[in-house]
Amino acid sequence: MKESVVQLIMALIGGVGFGLLFGMHPRHLLPSALGGVLAWGIYLGMMKLTEIEFLACLVAACVAVFYAEMQARLRKTPATQFVMGGIVPLVPGGSLYRAMSCVVRGEMEAARQYGSTTLLYALAIAGGISIVLALRELQTKKQ
Amino acid sequence: MLMREEQSRLLDSMLEMGDLLLESGGEISRVEDTLERMGMAYGARRVEVFVITSIISMTLAFPDGEPITETRRIHSSGSTDFYKMEKLNALSRQCCAQPLPLPELQERIDRIAAGHKPFPFVLWGSILVGGAFSVFFGGTVWDGLTAGVFGALVCLLQSRLGRTKLNTVAFNLLVSLLIGLGVGLTTAVIPGLHMDMILMGDIMLLIPGIAITNAVRNMLVGDTISGVVRLLETVIWAAALAGGIMVALVILNALR
Repeated sequence: MKESVVQLIMALIGGVGFGLLFGMHPRHLLPSALGGVLAWGIYLGMMKLTEIEFLACLVAACVAVFYAEMQARLRKTPATQFVMGGIVPLVPGGSLYRAMSCVVRGEMEAARQYGSTTLLYALAIAGGISIVLALRELQTKKQ
Repeated sequence: MLMREEQSRLLDSMLEMGDLLLESGGEISRVEDTLERMGMAYGARRVEVFVITSIISMTLAFPDGEPITETRRIHSSGSTDFYKMEKLNALSRQCCAQPLPLPELQERIDRIAAGHKPFPFVLWGSILVGGAFSVFFGGTVWDGLTAGVFGALVCLLQSRLGRTKLNTVAFNLLVSLLIGLGVGLTTAVIPGLHMDMILMGDIMLLIPGIAITNAVRNMLVGDTISGVVRLLETVIWAAALAGGIMVALVILNALR
């Protein structure tokens, strides 16, 4: 539990950091980073429920992109910046690094596992984005 | 109705705008959409825009006379600048509602182009990202602080080497190698620090996450060429990043 809270807080700080790094206007910093906190919270909750990483990441990405579209509409500004904030905690930096360090130590079996986890997360994020975008497209076509 | 000379000045300004929009991190479909709408707002009968990551080609056809075409080669991949994107977006919205006179349009574009992200923002952003994600991946507070310091180093290297126009592959290779060695040596000297957690935090700074996201979005909305090109680009960047870290780890293992 304590670990989860620490992760959520760090996702918030990291999200603000990315916002600053990409020159986001200060008034969007917090809402964008909160998208990341939301995504990570959903991810943790889904992992408790199903323990399927791919599904958890996919659902979290969907929620993050949906939240981003809402924020963008509310604030009349491009959605990209909020998408970035929401996706950031899901980016598989940890498993990418672990895969590399296993390769260097010659532990190929573990490296393969971490490598495929990295790919799986990337796919899940892409899938989440595509689902929400497809839904949005449908909605705008209907109007 | 715009005179011939004005038409080509408008085309010039709009290409400049598309260039800036693309460089500040806009998706292909956003750039195409913006330029098309603006062209229509200025009275064009037909607007043909084609954008991929390295080129913008645009034809404006006004009700009188011949269509005019111009292309613009996009050289730098640019650094994501959301504020710039937002201002360009607002400018285009304003133009679509009520077209600005051409000199004013050009002046507004120039003013947006001249703006830069404030350096302290970028520096503190790097520190926060490195530090926070190091703790996020399970590091201690001390790991976080160390990762923050190296995050600042990444930022300084980026602003230094960015000016030398080193290509992104070579840049990622070099920076990740330097950071890997730096973190490795620091953790060897100071006990209690975890090299893995610190590096994981700082890797988040170098992973082209936003570019990958953009690439996927491009592909999904039908801009397949740009999506594929950019995806390949980002995979190569990520491989360079991985290569640099791996070389650093190999060197550190040999030193041990």
